[in-house]
Amino acid sequence: MDPAALIPTPDAIPVHWGWLQLLLQTTLFCHILLMNITVGTACIALVGYIRDRGAPSPCTELVVRAMPFTIAFTVNFGVAPLLFGQVLYGQFLYTSSILMAVFWLAIVGLLIVAYALAYFAKHLPAGSGSGRPAVAVLTALLLLATAFFFVNNFSLMQAPASWSRYFAHPRGLLLNLGDPTFIPRFLHFIVGAVAIGGLAIALWFRWRRSQGEDSADRWIGHGCRWFSFATLANAGIGLWFLASLPHGLIPPATSTGRLFLLCLAGGSVFALAALFFGLSNRAVPALACILVTLALMLGARSLLRATLLAPWFSLEQLPLAPATTPFMLFVLILAAGLALIAWMMRFTLRAMDGGGQQP
Amino acid sequence: MNYPVWQLDFAGGGLLVALIAVFHVYIAHFAVGGGLFLALAERKACRENSPAMLAYVRAHAHFFLMLTMVAGAISGVGIWFVISLLNPTATSILIHTFVFVWAAEWVCFLVEIVSLFLYVYSFDRLPPGRHRLLAWIYGAAAWLSLFLINGIISFMLTPGDWTETKNIWDGFFNPGFWPSLAFRTFFALIIAGLFGLVTATWIKDRSLRTIWTRFCSRWLILPFLFFFAAAIWYRTALPPELQEIIWTRMPSVRPFIDGFLFCAPVPVLGGLLLMMRLPAGLSRLLAILLLLVGQIVMGCFEFVREGARRPYILRDYLYTTSVARGDTGRLQSEGILAVAKWVRNRQITDDNRLEAGRELYNLLCLSCHAIGGPMRDIKRLAASYTPSGLDAMISGMHTFHPVMPPFTGTAEERRALAWFIAHGLNNRSDPPPARLAGKLVEIPPFDPAANRFVLVAWSTLGMRYVAEVEGLLSVFPPGNSLRAQLIERGETPTIVNQNVTLRYRVEHGFTDSDRHSTPTGDMLPEEDLFTADGILLLPTSRHGFDPYPVVAIEARDNNENLLAATKVVAPVSTEMGCATCHGGPAGPEEYTGLNRATALNILEAHDRLSGTTLLASAQSGAMIRCQSCHADLMVRARGEADRLNLSTAIHGFHAHYLRGREADACAFCHPASPTGATRSLRDIHASLGLTCTNCHGTMENHALGLLQQERTAGKQQAARLMAPLMPRAVVDDNAIVPRNPWINQPDCLHCHVDYQPPATDTTSNTWTAGEQELYRNRTDESGRLFCAACHSSPHALYPADNPHGERLDVLQPLQYQGNRLPLGANRSCSVCHTLDMNDELHHDNSLRTFRNE
Repeated sequence: MDPAALIPTPDAIPVHWGWLQLLLQTTLFCHILLMNITVGTACIALVGYIRDRGAPSPCTELVVRAMPFTIAFTVNFGVAPLLFGQVLYGQFLYTSSILMAVFWLAIVGLLIVAYALAYFAKHLPAGSGSGRPAVAVLTALLLLATAFFFVNNFSLMQAPASWSRYFAHPRGLLLNLGDPTFIPRFLHFIVGAVAIGGLAIALWFRWRRSQGEDSADRWIGHGCRWFSFATLANAGIGLWFLASLPHGLIPPATSTGRLFLLCLAGGSVFALAALFFGLSNRAVPALACILVTLALMLGARSLLRATLLAPWFSLEQLPLAPATTPFMLFVLILAAGLALIAWMMRFTLRAMDGGGQQP
Repeated sequence: MNYPVWQLDFAGGGLLVALIAVFHVYIAHFAVGGGLFLALAERKACRENSPAMLAYVRAHAHFFLMLTMVAGAISGVGIWFVISLLNPTATSILIHTFVFVWAAEWVCFLVEIVSLFLYVYSFDRLPPGRHRLLAWIYGAAAWLSLFLINGIISFMLTPGDWTETKNIWDGFFNPGFWPSLAFRTFFALIIAGLFGLVTATWIKDRSLRTIWTRFCSRWLILPFLFFFAAAIWYRTALPPELQEIIWTRMPSVRPFIDGFLFCAPVPVLGGLLLMMRLPAGLSRLLAILLLLVGQIVMGCFEFVREGARRPYILRDYLYTTSVARGDTGRLQSEGILAVAKWVRNRQITDDNRLEAGRELYNLLCLSCHAIGGPMRDIKRLAASYTPSGLDAMISGMHTFHPVMPPFTGTAEERRALAWFIAHGLNNRSDPPPARLAGKLVEIPPFDPAANRFVLVAWSTLGMRYVAEVEGLLSVFPPGNSLRAQLIERGETPTIVNQNVTLRYRVEHGFTDSDRHSTPTGDMLPEEDLFTADGILLLPTSRHGFDPYPVVAIEARDNNENLLAATKVVAPVSTEMGCATCHGGPAGPEEYTGLNRATALNILEAHDRLSGTTLLASAQSGAMIRCQSCHADLMVRARGEADRLNLSTAIHGFHAHYLRGREADACAFCHPASPTGATRSLRDIHASLGLTCTNCHGTMENHALGLLQQERTAGKQQAARLMAPLMPRAVVDDNAIVPRNPWINQPDCLHCHVDYQPPATDTTSNTWTAGEQELYRNRTDESGRLFCAACHSSPHALYPADNPHGERLDVLQPLQYQGNRLPLGANRSCSVCHTLDMNDELHHDNSLRTFRNE
């Protein structure tokens, strides 16, 4: 069956697709960063609990305490790119979601349970006998399962050629495991998350050290090691991912190809720099470099998606039904909301700094 | 059409949406009202300078945070997920139309999260005023979220001018926006109080518990009047036609309206009760119960809102089937399988009918009807239908069920869908073509040289049917009528009705189990005619189903000397089509279309659609007779003056399900199918290829004629039934000639003008002027010999060909003239006349050679 015949007709967008793409990329950057912190720190805590046979450490305690917050913001910042993603690629995303509907909907349940467990673990007393390690480990596994299904969906939406499997399996139980890029793609995300999770731990303890906590140095090093080795591993996985792409998919001679190579090369250079800083326990410059890497890699991801969908679709084809007033209003509300958040944070954290306590 | 369908069976019909939505919406409203609750509760604690009271606020804030963040926020995402899986088309329209409203709502969500975290984790660390400010900010952001999402939710029910302008603000500030916002705002405050009670009644300290319980109770009482006023405002803001549909034509929504009206005031009463100092256990129990009642109120409201939207998901724009209203006509002509992207069967064949039906079900039904599941289970709802019955039901389902959309596909697709549901899922089938046993009848002797008398007899109706379940329901009671004329042969034959007795005797059987004796009796002499009415016959003999009982009639003088004898069939059939749609074990052995189960289903449907209580009456032992309310000339029942007569009521209703058909529409109910067990159409016209509609018109026109008459008589129900019916072959309703049932009928002379060969084979919209003009009451030119005496009953005119037995409907022609033709045809004048006749005394053209021998 011709995949083109299966692709739904898209609805009209209210502003030029460039604005929506900008919003998508920006909010996705925030979401991926937060997701990396959530999933990455959860994985590090998982390993820590297993390695130490459930014994708590400042690192695992930090992760358990912070988990409800990071999950909340990860979910919140996941809403926006999912929204803008649906506006630009709804015809692909809805379709792939339906093909794997059972798993896609299961994400809601997984997240509710993971989130509830995160609160539960936070309120359990520290110590191996309290059950906290088990709850934290379970939370981490649930988050990994969520990530697994997300990667399935976002790779399946880019593969209309495999959609005809629906006719034999219409009950929403399809996954994209047959895609040769799937495993390296998933590992690339998860190992990247572990790297940034390690860096987040290092940055937290760096701040604690600035508050006078002497034992924090050990955990800065711990976090940086996780960051560095995970980044190193992820470079290899990235190459695997690249090699798994169809040969000649993105010809380097094209403008898209050049841009793609530029993103990859730039991202790699900054990743190397971040690795260097990580190995020398310099968390802040490592953060700066890895944020650039993340932005460039998300750019490469977007170009890869455009290339994979190119036989059937390009964003320029989206019909436009202009309605700019709501867009302007949203920009105003966003600005007001961010200003309000900044103000609230400022007066609250200042007051809490005075109290010398942490949430 | 545009997207694949997640093939759910048990969990279909929106079960997943319902499960997540009812749960989420309650917590989401708690999240809105809870912000104000926290701000005011903290202000109260600060004013009274009570650390203990503040401790309660802190504990409640933690409870609030966890519930709204974990269950509320993620289940909100869950609703988004699930609607995009179950109705991606509608979701896509909502997302694309309101993308920046959603985006603004996301900003509010972000502000909510930040402010709530800061609020909950900064107790005792911020100055009280600043701390409360966080609660106010949270509350404002949460309410703004409601403001934004309310615009989209209310849009789905009342899109207003958006359907024309496509302007986002027309859609957002739709007619339902403000009342819905007010309603949800005040409901959110009540819900905040309900959840507050849950934590307040668990306070251990008695006096503190009392303080906070009373505080929370006020949240149940004070907003209630505004909440109720907003509910009334919301109702009045709905378009009048929508109000009419919800409150009068959607019985499925009624329990939720009642549930809402009954439960909504309960929190007020509970609040008043909790204002008193109750034992801790009792107040906790009451708090939990009130919380559940609140959930019921919310659930009922959302079900009413969702129900009112049906058959649309975006009212007046997009059906729940994901078909845009504007595409309906195109899909009905092109076919949905040809247009839908995610189907495998583009053409329907005998081999793929079931599979294509399944695909059609996925596209058009699954979004509302589960298969075997709790949400509007199609197996249960369609259990009473055969495939053809369901096909008819689907064709007209939107007329009397305003929750259903019109079928958007071709007739062939409709049949495939019905086949999948009725046969594929429910294993129902239409009766196979009947196998007729054949019936032999001995022809009575007649000696033209010796016999002085000729006895002719006929049934007044050639198609006589019975639909009655003893003790339960009578639609058409049994009671055949016979007519006979005794003619003394001669140069000028005379009709005899003095000093003779005509006695009829039905062959053995043909009565129900309570009436064992063979019907027999004397016919009543009238002027030129002998009559026998009310002969209780049923089509059952010892051989099984036999719709053509043979009646022997003898004429004797006062000394019991036999003057003449003949035979005639008295047709009677129970092969009604009721069971096709109304269920019941319609079996090929009995061919009884109205059984006990069928009757109960009919009564239930009548109650549901007409607001009667017939089922309860029947179940209490009363036998329901349609003619008690609906006039019926056939049984001389006057009915009730303001109700439609029976024929009009039945045809006027069922025509909506049988539109666009030809004679097959008639055979749905009447025993006229050419493959049925009765095959009532057996006369010369049938063998020439004419069908019911050649004389009676199509189902639509037939019904409209009856309705027109009743509308003229001022019966509003007739006008309502006429509105959705489009006449055929005429320009509009006004071209339909009004007619009374059993009086204004088609007649032979409408085609056979002046007894000549017809210029057309079709007459419709032309009726006899009165009862005396009916074929069965008309005579020849002499005014004494009835038309039917020589031509037999309607639908069995000589030379009739009865498939149950070749002689059955030509007994008298065979007896008197040795052929199958009308008596006297081809100059067989000697049947009655002892001289050859050269004048056409009976009617013009009567001496010519029979054309269709």
